[in-house]
Amino acid sequence: MSNPWIAIGALALVGVVIPLSMMVVSMLLRPSVPEQGKRATYESGEIPTGSSQKIRFNIQYYMVALLFVVFDIETVLIFPWTVIYQDAVSAIGIGPALYPMLAFLGILIVGLAWAWRNGAVQWITSPRASSRAVEQQ
Amino acid sequence: MQSQTPLPDFIASLFDMIPGVSGDSQLVFIVSALIAGTIVGSLMLTQTALVIWAKRKITAAFTDRIAINRVGPAGLLIIPADALRLLSKELIVPEGVDRPAWDLAPLVLASSALLGFAVIPMGSLLGIDFQVADPETGLAYVFATASIASIGLVMAGYASNNKYSFLGGLRAVAQNLAYEIPLILTGMSVVLFAGTLQTSEIVAAQSETLFSLGAVAIPSWYAFVNPFAFVLFLVANLAEVGRNPFDIPEAPTEIVAGYQTEYSSVYFVLMYLGEFIHIFLGGAIIATIFLGGPAGPVLPGLVWFLIKIWGVFLFTQWARSAVPRVRIDQLIEIGWKGMLVLSFANLLLTAVIVGVIV
Repeated sequence: MSNPWIAIGALALVGVVIPLSMMVVSMLLRPSVPEQGKRATYESGEIPTGSSQKIRFNIQYYMVALLFVVFDIETVLIFPWTVIYQDAVSAIGIGPALYPMLAFLGILIVGLAWAWRNGAVQWITSPRASSRAVEQQ
Repeated sequence: MQSQTPLPDFIASLFDMIPGVSGDSQLVFIVSALIAGTIVGSLMLTQTALVIWAKRKITAAFTDRIAINRVGPAGLLIIPADALRLLSKELIVPEGVDRPAWDLAPLVLASSALLGFAVIPMGSLLGIDFQVADPETGLAYVFATASIASIGLVMAGYASNNKYSFLGGLRAVAQNLAYEIPLILTGMSVVLFAGTLQTSEIVAAQSETLFSLGAVAIPSWYAFVNPFAFVLFLVANLAEVGRNPFDIPEAPTEIVAGYQTEYSSVYFVLMYLGEFIHIFLGGAIIATIFLGGPAGPVLPGLVWFLIKIWGVFLFTQWARSAVPRVRIDQLIEIGWKGMLVLSFANLLLTAVIVGVIV
C-alpha cells in the first residue's frame, strides 16, 4: 500500500487543472466586445451607488460565525473520542468512557443555552421592521 | 467484500507488467495516481454534465412541462451544445471587482468539490476498485474538503462588488456554518458504530446482516440501524448544498442569484459545476456512511454507487420542487435551535446504546 496522500494530491492537481483548462479553452473561444455601461454591476436596472464592500449588514451574521468557532473546535475534539469509544467501553466500561464526554458536552450545551437566552441565535430585526410588523397586525 | 486495492496501486501494478518499469518506484506511483485522479475526476464531471440535463427534465416533470427535447434523443445533445455555448460567451468583468479573489472563487468552488471524491469508495467494476486513496482519517478529510466551498462562496460574494452578491455570500456562510455542525455531529454518531474513520472500513462494517426477512437479508446499513441520524443528515446535507428549503443564498426571487450574480461565461460554468459536484459529493458521503457504499445485489459496485448518489440527487430535486424556501431568521432558528440540539441528542443516545450493546 503506497502513501494515500500522494494519490489525494494527484487528484487535487487534476481538480485544479480541469477548471484551469476550461478557462484557457474559453479564453481562446470567447469574443471581447467592450461597450458603454456593460461593466456596471447588476442592481435590478438601477445605477449602482457606492461600493458593495462597505455596506452595513446585520450583526447576526457575525454572532453566528462567532458561535460556530466554538462548536467547530468542539467537533474536532469529539472525533477522536468517537473512534476509540467502542474499545474504551470494552476496556474500562461504559461509565468512565462516557462521563467525561458528557461533562464536556454539558459545558457546551450550557454555553448554547446561554447564547440562546441572550439572543445570539435569534434573528435581529431592525426597529423599523418590527414597528412595521406591529402596524400590519 | 472485494479486495481493497486503491485505484492508483492497481494502475501501478499495470505499469509493473511493462518490462523495465518497476511498479514500486515513487515516480510510477505518482503517474498512476494522476491517471487515477483523471479517471475519477472525469467520471464525476460526466455525471455532473448528465445531471444538468436531468435537472431540467426532472424540474419540468414536477411542474408539468416537457423541457428540452429538440437537440438529440430526449434533448441529450443539449449537454455539449450548452457547454460550447457557455464557454464561448464573452466574459464580462464588472467594475470594481476584487480581481484575484473574483477569479479564484470559481476555481476554489469547482476543485474543492472534486477533492472530496478522493477517499470515497466507489465500488468495483470488472474487478477494479474505484477509490483513489484510503487514508485512516478518510471521513474527517471528506468533511474538511466539503466545507472548503464556503470560502469560495464568501470570496465570490465579497469580490463581486455587487450588493446582491454580498448578501448572498453572507447568507451562504451563515447557512453553511449553522448546518456544518449538525452534519458532522450526525456523521460522528456513525463513527461510534463503526469505530473508524477509514471510509472502506465504514463500508465494510455495514455489510453484516442486520436481520433476515424470509430469504432476504437486510444489511446493517446505518440508515437502517439509525434512521434518525439518517434523516438529520439528509436535512443538514440539503442545507450544505444549498437546495430548497435551504436555498436562500441564491434565492432568485430575493437577491437575483446571490453570489453568482456577476459571473458569466466560463466562470459561471465553473460555479454551476462546482455546485452540482457538491451535491454529488453530499450524495457520495450519504451513500458511504449510511447506505452501505457500493454494496448491493447483482449489479457491480460502481453501478450501485452511482444509483445511490443519483437517488440522493433525485431527493434534492424533489425537495427543490416541492418545499418552499425558509426565511433567513427561520433558517438560523432551525439550524441552531432545532438541528443542533437534535444532533447532540442523537450523538449522546447513540453513545449510550453503543456502550450498552458492546
